[in-house]
Amino acid sequence: MPKIKDVSRERGWLLEPEAKELCREYGLPVGEWAVVRGPEEAEIEGGRLGYPLAAKIVSPDVVHKSDVGGVALNVDAASVGDVFRRMKAAAEESGYRFEGVLLERMAPPGIETIIGAKRDPQFGPVLMFGLGGIFVEVFKDVSFRVAPIDRGDAEEMISELKAYPVLKGIRGRKPSDIEGIIDALLKVSRMVTELEEVKEIDLNPVIVYEKGSRIVDARMILQTR
Amino acid sequence: MSDRVFSMSGLEVMFSPRSIAVVGASKNPKKIGYELVSNILTGGYEGKLYPVNPEGADVMGLKSYTSVRQIPGEVDLAVIAVPAAYVPDVLMECGEKGIKAALIISSGFREVGNLDLEERLVQTARKYGMRILGPNIFGLYYAPSKMNATFGLSRVFPGRIAFVTQSGALGIAMMGWTNLYRIGVSAVVSMGNKADIEEADVLDFFSEDRNTGAVLMYIEGAKDGRRLLDSMRRSSLKKPVIVLKSGRTGAGASAASSHTGSLAGSDAVYDAAFRQCGALRASDLAQAFDWAKLMTLQPPPLNDNCLIITNGGGVGVMAADACEESGVPIRQLPEDLQLEFKRLMPVFGNSKNPVDLTGQAYEESYAKSVELALKDPRIGSVIVLYCQTAITDPVSIAKAIADGCEAHGCEKTVVTSFIGGTQCNEAMQKLDERGMPSYPIPERAVSALAAYYRWQRYRLKKGQPSPTTSSQAASQVSP
Repeated sequence: MPKIKDVSRERGWLLEPEAKELCREYGLPVGEWAVVRGPEEAEIEGGRLGYPLAAKIVSPDVVHKSDVGGVALNVDAASVGDVFRRMKAAAEESGYRFEGVLLERMAPPGIETIIGAKRDPQFGPVLMFGLGGIFVEVFKDVSFRVAPIDRGDAEEMISELKAYPVLKGIRGRKPSDIEGIIDALLKVSRMVTELEEVKEIDLNPVIVYEKGSRIVDARMILQTR
Repeated sequence: MSDRVFSMSGLEVMFSPRSIAVVGASKNPKKIGYELVSNILTGGYEGKLYPVNPEGADVMGLKSYTSVRQIPGEVDLAVIAVPAAYVPDVLMECGEKGIKAALIISSGFREVGNLDLEERLVQTARKYGMRILGPNIFGLYYAPSKMNATFGLSRVFPGRIAFVTQSGALGIAMMGWTNLYRIGVSAVVSMGNKADIEEADVLDFFSEDRNTGAVLMYIEGAKDGRRLLDSMRRSSLKKPVIVLKSGRTGAGASAASSHTGSLAGSDAVYDAAFRQCGALRASDLAQAFDWAKLMTLQPPPLNDNCLIITNGGGVGVMAADACEESGVPIRQLPEDLQLEFKRLMPVFGNSKNPVDLTGQAYEESYAKSVELALKDPRIGSVIVLYCQTAITDPVSIAKAIADGCEAHGCEKTVVTSFIGGTQCNEAMQKLDERGMPSYPIPERAVSALAAYYRWQRYRLKKGQPSPTTSSQAASQVSP
């Protein structure tokens, strides 16, 4: 079973690269990323990962990255060094600790979903699936199940959504990879059941394609003792 | 301690005691201790009854005792209604006497912050191997034992619904409903503070209880959510579990915690959890009882094909709409069956589904239509609607429908709705009495049927054959 580092445990939440690493260990679909610590390294890794890139600040003092200008999208080779310098400068100016910038190739557009989990005081670990990205707050089109779930539960979580026809494919649009979502839900179920220290998980968005899906952002909050 | 208590989970003794001691029994009709004795007597309890009070004064002609220790014979159940501070000592005496179960009516424990006092009850019960219901309850009613050990209403309409409630006031009020709306209960259980026995224990008991056809629970918060789910999951495979969970809104939730000191969990999670374990969540009391009535009177649907029989086009369409919206598919009847129905109606009738017998439908065409629907294996459930007309008599049409069903030995679900005045009400009373659940509007009949379908689909998904029908026939309901 994957271990959570003491330093993260004290912080109370996982940095994005840590959360994504955990996802990878559970076989969840995360893309390839690199955490870079200087502008030159940003250019080298950028070239290796391939443009356009998403760049995100890595700081133990920043939970909501976009609130502090810590997210840049569609970054190209010409600007990756500047993006790095800007994020570092912003952190220094505001007094945030700066551990680097996470670079990851931009995920192609698809249907944005969310896979979440939390520990409920009455029922223990609970899973959530829904329409993700910016729509979570607005439409609240989500479904829940008490973990661990089986395949049938995962299927129901998906088909219960109002947006289910969108995933199934409507008006000539190709169906999304529902098998992939089922697989991901089962893995997150296992993850939240096994890792008792994890209090909340937000994989949002998880972009679903015709074939495959990709976790673009991962947030994990740990239990405070 | 006695291993019998544990092997039988202690609840059997509590529900079917051979003898009861009422501690705190009173001569004063204004006291709860009087009401308890009075209700046990009025209810026709056939075991031995021993009032206990400090004076040893006789209560309602029964010899009383100053302590349970003074009672000469064995006692199975103690009903304790003395001030909270005295309860631990009384309970200890009960334990020493060898009493196996206690209903602790008294208030003044966890619900007012007296956690230590409540903990003492639990310790005492553990020490003597006793099971306790409560404290802070209005009592326990169990029809098969003719035991009304409550300070609620003295008359309860017996039937097959087990009603389990976390709210005392609501439970007592519902005892009144059973008579008013002819909804029979096998049991009424007041949960109170759940110091020992919680919903999961009671549910386990009812899932094995042959006198109970469906369980209806009103809950505010679970003590152990996981345990409740496991118990619901097991029980739902055997009989429907209908749940009313309050605290759906933020305002409701804070009211619930001040009510029994229980923290209501997040509603969305409850909702999903219930669905996951096959429990049927009703949105209000009337709906919960509507569902329970159908599920305790009629067998579950045989297959997905629901047939609507009506004498009015309007209500037929309303019922069909409600069916579609709630997942009960209404399909056009096969040609050969349409031809048979055509013989039972005027030329301007409709034989497709809904089958409209028209306003000229008399007893015979209702009876024959119902028989036809029951006979044909392609039909899995039937909704019979009647709108009052000037030329027909609702009461005798109700009789004809019930006769038609009985002639066929109902093997599929039949629900009815009679829409009209006083005579329709009378007709529905007759239908209910004959085990044909009736509702004053078609939507309520459909809501009950749709809930029955949901339960049947859950069971089929989990691979459980229907208890009343062959698994082959039941498997025709699409999961």
